[in-house]
Amino acid sequence: MNVLDFANSIEGYLLVSSVLLILGIFAVLTRKNAIGILLGVELILNAAGINFVAFSKYHSAALEGQLVTLFLILIAAAEAAVALAIILRFYRLKQTIDADEASLLRH
Amino acid sequence: MSNGMKLILLIAELVTVGSALIVAINPNILYSAVFLLFAFLGVAVMYLFAGADFLAGVQIVVYVGGVTILILFAIMLTQWLYRLKLKDIGSKFVIPGVVLALGLVPFLHRGLTELGKMIQATPPEKMAEFAASPKTQAIGKALLGTHVLPFEAITILLLGALVGAVWLARPRT
Repeated sequence: MNVLDFANSIEGYLLVSSVLLILGIFAVLTRKNAIGILLGVELILNAAGINFVAFSKYHSAALEGQLVTLFLILIAAAEAAVALAIILRFYRLKQTIDADEASLLRH
Repeated sequence: MSNGMKLILLIAELVTVGSALIVAINPNILYSAVFLLFAFLGVAVMYLFAGADFLAGVQIVVYVGGVTILILFAIMLTQWLYRLKLKDIGSKFVIPGVVLALGLVPFLHRGLTELGKMIQATPPEKMAEFAASPKTQAIGKALLGTHVLPFEAITILLLGALVGAVWLARPRT
């Protein structure tokens, strides 16, 4: 199988999504910056979306996978908005967004 | 699909992977956020080639136009742009992160090969027909028909997230 056909197959899609998942997990674990952790979470969510869309085409040829990805994108948007609001609030309290500093339940 | 189109898809996948790599390992959070934008664009092109035209549009509008700008906005509000504290790789979890991320590789590889065998049964002409058909009308009908309950749940979630985010980021009184 040459590389062009591989890129157009489900294996190509799943390989890209696996790499995105691994890099997202790596970013979540290694970043100290709270926004860096959020970037990793976005990568993981995109990996899941690619999987749903790829199976929607290559396996069932039906629309359900695309609908799940649509809901996933909307949930990710809501999650990013709330997370950034929390980060801004935390920055106002502590003058830093280092995740190691977020160790108290109260302020 | 012609070889030229396949080449475009291959380039999009390489851009996605390369940008995601920079997002994960670049020590400067601002560069990471900018390359996240390219990763999202690559994913949008991949959606297009998988027959998800509507989703590609949503991906660009929500992720590229919304989430990335929001993240850049938050970075610039919370940090001095050229302050070296931006560089944040080197936490104590680097080695566990590498081990855990690479430990997933055999499982993912195994799953990929098994799924590749499973998928062979789908007829290619049905797949091509699905990929070529426009989806916007079908998605609209599904959202207000068979999938109306998750659709309404998402609207409540978005309202809650909107109010919650505004309340959290309110000015100090």
